[in-house]
Amino acid sequence: MTGGPAAYAFEWSAVWRGLPYLLQGAGLTVLISGVAMVLAAALGLALAVATQTAGRLVRGLVDAYVELFRNTPLLIQIFIVYFGLPQLGLRLSPFLSGLGALVLYAAAYNAEIFRAGLEAVPKGQHEAALSGGLSPAQALRFVIVPQAVRIAFPALGNNLVSLLKNSSLVSTIGMVELMFVANDISFNNFRTFEIYGAAALVYVILVLALTRLLRVAETRTARPA
Amino acid sequence: MRSRRLAIVTVALVLAGLFASAASAQSTLETVKKRGKLIAGVKTDFPPFGTVDAAGKNVGFDVDVAHRFAKALFDDEQQVELVAVTSGNRIPFLQSGKIDIIIATVTITDERRQVVEFSEPYFMSGSLLLVPKASSARSLDDMAGKTVAVVQGAIQDRDVEQLQPKATRVKFGKVSEAVLAVKGGRADAYVHDDIVILSLVKENPDLKAVGTPFMPRPYGIAVRKGDLEFIKWVNDQLARMKQDGTYERLWKKYFADVEGNLVKP
Repeated sequence: MTGGPAAYAFEWSAVWRGLPYLLQGAGLTVLISGVAMVLAAALGLALAVATQTAGRLVRGLVDAYVELFRNTPLLIQIFIVYFGLPQLGLRLSPFLSGLGALVLYAAAYNAEIFRAGLEAVPKGQHEAALSGGLSPAQALRFVIVPQAVRIAFPALGNNLVSLLKNSSLVSTIGMVELMFVANDISFNNFRTFEIYGAAALVYVILVLALTRLLRVAETRTARPA
Repeated sequence: MRSRRLAIVTVALVLAGLFASAASAQSTLETVKKRGKLIAGVKTDFPPFGTVDAAGKNVGFDVDVAHRFAKALFDDEQQVELVAVTSGNRIPFLQSGKIDIIIATVTITDERRQVVEFSEPYFMSGSLLLVPKASSARSLDDMAGKTVAVVQGAIQDRDVEQLQPKATRVKFGKVSEAVLAVKGGRADAYVHDDIVILSLVKENPDLKAVGTPFMPRPYGIAVRKGDLEFIKWVNDQLARMKQDGTYERLWKKYFADVEGNLVKP
């Protein structure tokens, strides 16, 4: 008698049965990462502009924020917001906790990306805008920022893709998104390979859709006004 | 075109590798003996069965059982590698060959019997609620419309769904996270095995255990499905531990102060 373990028998029907639940999870993944992307892009741009225009104090604060959030694991940030803040008296909902952590984390990267974009716009553009009669604010709004965004776009796209994948970490605080659902199904039916494989495939589809979307947006921004 | 073909070939090779490794698995007992150590999955957040002490050492009832198995195999109780597992990942860890055996408070259920081999029961556990000291809740009946924390992969996830469908369940990966959820007011109660709830109360004076243990079920040690040779060996060891007084000694060591609440298998 050898009594060795049986070979793994694939059972893809488990995926079929779990599909509605998986897609429900994917819905929340799209929602939370979609909202986080918009907010993180806006916050990142605002911070980058602030470092270029405001005084040394603001620049110092933004730098501190960027370093703090880029140099700590996202999971720790999620746990601090979700488990830590309530002990200090601030209890955000699970959705807001997850969203808040994702936005703060991604915006720290976006701020750096936009800052690099702003710095890459030739000085002459600024001078030309001013001598053309624009105020400094108008020069920033209509000349510098559009060019900076265009320059920053590919790096921004990469970061948004990371954000979409990183949203899986909010599964740890009970958010019923794609990763959570995959855990939930496979912990009960033990079809680990099939369920995580299916979840991975859904992530691939979501990322491919996002990349396509970003490419369209990039061509739009690249079109001369 | 060429890169796409390369990608397809790579995927095919990876899949073939998966099947091959699954098919070439052999008797666990033989593998363990050849390797010279047992690799056991134990809990690290589940007092008094599996926790980590201040020095970072694994301690607990299940950990002692793992050492005892190593002693039986190699005449050296240190020849065991302890791998931290959770309720959710322990069976996948076993199935994927990361561990040889699960000694981690696995409740024996019919569903799990289809994917692992269970030993004879070595503990009986019901479920209790962990609530804040100030809570007025007395049982699961009081949880209608409330939020109940459970651990993903633990049987209480299903139990609460069936016994108190009016409660909102919020699921966490670990015991420690579920406890934090109750402490932070994220959940009104946390439902898990009576023994772990009673132990958590001892360490957390701001919390209390309520209810009478419900749905008592046995714990078993688990090995890979179909590995009858290994599970027979495990059962022999458990029987020997009961005969020579080891089981009684471990019972007193870990459960003496809550013994009144427990059912002896």
